[in-house]
Amino acid sequence: MNKKIIRFKKFTLSATLATYLLIFIGGLVRVSGAGLGCPDWPKCFGRWIPPFNAGQIPPEFNAAAFNFTLAWIEYINRLAGMLTGILILITAILAIKNFRNRKKIMLPSVLAAVVVAFQGWYGSIVVQSELQPVTISIHLLLALFIVSLLMYTLINVHFLDRSPAGKQIKPAGNVLRILWFASLIQITLGTEIRSAVEQAWQKFPLISASEILSYTGPVTLVHAMLGILVAAGTVMISIRILRITNGERFVRQGIALLNLLILMQLLIGFAMQIFGIQPFLQIFHLWSAALFIGIILVLYTSLNYQWERP
Amino acid sequence: MKSGKTLRMVYISLIGLFLLSVIALVVIYFARQSRSDLMVYGKVPAFEFTEQNGQPFGTSEMKGEINIVNFFFTSCQGPCPVMNARVAELYQKYATSNQVRFVSISVDPDRDSLSVLQDYAKSHGVNDNRWVFLRAPMEEVYKISEKGFMLAGELPSIHSTKLILVDRNLNIRGYYDSFDDESLNLLTTNVRELLN
Repeated sequence: MNKKIIRFKKFTLSATLATYLLIFIGGLVRVSGAGLGCPDWPKCFGRWIPPFNAGQIPPEFNAAAFNFTLAWIEYINRLAGMLTGILILITAILAIKNFRNRKKIMLPSVLAAVVVAFQGWYGSIVVQSELQPVTISIHLLLALFIVSLLMYTLINVHFLDRSPAGKQIKPAGNVLRILWFASLIQITLGTEIRSAVEQAWQKFPLISASEILSYTGPVTLVHAMLGILVAAGTVMISIRILRITNGERFVRQGIALLNLLILMQLLIGFAMQIFGIQPFLQIFHLWSAALFIGIILVLYTSLNYQWERP
Repeated sequence: MKSGKTLRMVYISLIGLFLLSVIALVVIYFARQSRSDLMVYGKVPAFEFTEQNGQPFGTSEMKGEINIVNFFFTSCQGPCPVMNARVAELYQKYATSNQVRFVSISVDPDRDSLSVLQDYAKSHGVNDNRWVFLRAPMEEVYKISEKGFMLAGELPSIHSTKLILVDRNLNIRGYYDSFDDESLNLLTTNVRELLN
């Protein structure tokens, strides 16, 4: 059994890391504007291997729309998505095989496999909609949902042989729930800002990147304010958790990472206020938000297994 | 022992972060390169026509500006109204810039006299010289359309509905379908790249 647990843990961890990598790649597709690099789905210009030059494009496609770099960026996102999907599928199969009676392990991993299959199909909708902002946001939120399910599975396997604490550390749990929800709102607002920038650029095509944020309306201000609140909440809850729990290493590391990430978020956010929406800043802003929200979930779940300091 | 493991994790994370940064920079750089890599289709040969107010207008006026060129005639019932409505939208869009110029060349100089062109300009909301309407003898229009802008068609009834992007050095940088939103979006993106 022990070997099976270790194997399962390895697969779940790999699936989690792969999904985070995939979120990064997906963000790269977004910031590099490669979303329509392949006009069709699942093939690219009617081919399973994207064309290397315009001469390879079948006549039913507009060869002028072909851009080698963008086509391959988009296609690598799809390939990575497929590999990640397979990894998640294996995790789910292992969960059904070995943890059928452990609902907290089996259900989330099977659900992750179902959602990742849906996500793959939903990619076609994103392309078909010609990158409607709403569809892109849903695509991202689904990815966050998948990675959350995987992390939830992972924590429950990690604490498999430990029975839950008598009572969860309630006040800390409540604050973490609020932080989690606020982060989700922040991510949604972030995608809103991004599409507001695009609309502003359609309307005022001559405005420079550093000025464009001021044309996005109040959403940017709300995002910045709420961001500062989330950061303050993070620091407060960190101090509290460290004070009241038995301070297991696992929890301490999670808290360190959480604070590091929120600091990074604030810095990148301010940098974008000054330098504008630069793709390089944007991708890490999104990615560390995804990591942040994942680690909140990890902390929240693992608090179930912590004892209050006597 | 345990803190050694933590340290190793930190190193691995930092290396991972560094690698991701490099990948992100490279991908963003190449994606940007690939898009600003606007082809040069050819050079507009020197010409001098007359604009609607009777002033000479030609390549020497186009030079140093970003030009969006199209062919039309005022009495055209087919695609021209739609095409020039789209041009009018772009004209409004670039109202804050005097670096983008719209050049519409009539392919029916017999009927499109200067006063007809003036009325046409007014009806499209043109109130400055950012959008000019040109008139020239038919054979010269024919020459510039076919040889200069490499457009095919039996003038005047079958003229191209493409918008042609011409850069500051009179190089033709792109052809855009005035009936396709995506193509027009690409046009504004490419204009922005030329401006930068």
